[in-house]
Amino acid sequence: MSSSAKRRQTGGFAVFEKWNRKLHFYLGLYFLFFLWLFSLTGLLLNHGQWLIAMAANERKETRYERTIELPAGATDLDRARDLMRQLSLQGEMDLPAVPQEPGRLAFSVSRPNDASQVRVDLDTRLASIQHFDNSRWATFRIFHTFSGSRYNQPASRRDWMATSMWVLAMDALAAGLIVMVLGSYYMWWRLKPKRQLGLIVLAAGYVACGWFFTSFL
Amino acid sequence: MYRWTRDLHLYFGLFISPFLLLFAASVFFLNHAKIVPDKWLSAETFQNVEIPDAIDRAQGKDAIARAQAILQQVGVTGEIGFTRFVRQTRHFVFPVSKPGVETNVDVDIDARTAIVSRRPTSVWEAFAYLHKMPGPHNVAIRGNWAGTRAWRWFADGTIYLTLFITITGIYLWWTIKAERRTGIALLSAGIVTFVALIYVVIR
Repeated sequence: MSSSAKRRQTGGFAVFEKWNRKLHFYLGLYFLFFLWLFSLTGLLLNHGQWLIAMAANERKETRYERTIELPAGATDLDRARDLMRQLSLQGEMDLPAVPQEPGRLAFSVSRPNDASQVRVDLDTRLASIQHFDNSRWATFRIFHTFSGSRYNQPASRRDWMATSMWVLAMDALAAGLIVMVLGSYYMWWRLKPKRQLGLIVLAAGYVACGWFFTSFL
Repeated sequence: MYRWTRDLHLYFGLFISPFLLLFAASVFFLNHAKIVPDKWLSAETFQNVEIPDAIDRAQGKDAIARAQAILQQVGVTGEIGFTRFVRQTRHFVFPVSKPGVETNVDVDIDARTAIVSRRPTSVWEAFAYLHKMPGPHNVAIRGNWAGTRAWRWFADGTIYLTLFITITGIYLWWTIKAERRTGIALLSAGIVTFVALIYVVIR
């Protein structure tokens, strides 16, 4: 390799090293509060017996009825959307997995801070709403799982813009974490005195994590 | 202080890195994947199953203990999701899961037979399963498999060490004076994005 090519490569390498290091803490700083939220809510989700987690199960229930206009739309989804508009409800809407009863329309609308279960009698044009206001801890915890989609329920889908934005934030955090971890492997490997102990620690981590996948062997 | 902080940041980070990768990668599956769970791929019938006492009345942990006694006889391991006694048919039914395989055990109390149906899952489903374990549901009986109890330790450990790493990370960044201004700008941008998103979702 010519000396100029070597210099170019070294230069490119130096730029990569510099930006890899910068990216590690830039991403960390940008996502800091997201990471704290998902870490703390993860603890709450895994420790339902904690007082805080039990407080998160508390919610205030109210029931009310409203007369409605016959909802417009060709599908249950469209009709439910129209009813949400009439009832001034906002959030992620879920239709039940089972077919609707004739003359009735049922659906739920949820956000991290509240949820409503709506039952509509289309003949009498009366909507019965069961509304739940979640406690602050519950709201906090729900952010961890608020994706509007369940992978094992193909019919479930996101239909609220705010949910899509939140999911985008979750994806960005996940992608950022992956970049940070992979970048950190490189930074560690470049520290020759730390290689041996680092390798032992890293291997211990992979063995511990890999143990849970022994069913695949 | 600086040296210790840097070393602990590095080694703790390396140890939890596979767990972080698992949690991060599974986010994409949990948020975007759509699967139709396969049907049970295999079903095996076991005869002369020894039925534990009062299986038709047992609740909570007692029911789990009885289900575990049956699991030993049919050679299945994993976390029991819940138990259900179907009074009309006198069947004791419970799902069992672990990364890579889901099992359903259906015990006919009177015939003393057990049908064990299995469904292997994909690696992605296994990631998602671990991401969600132990989770907020059925708290009283969760952790009835040693694997779940062990995973709870690692999941919690990952969180505590992540919190430690973020705090040490802030310290390590702050020591680089030349990066303070850009760092503060990015930290502020992150806080603004975070607060704005929370506001949009709950307003």
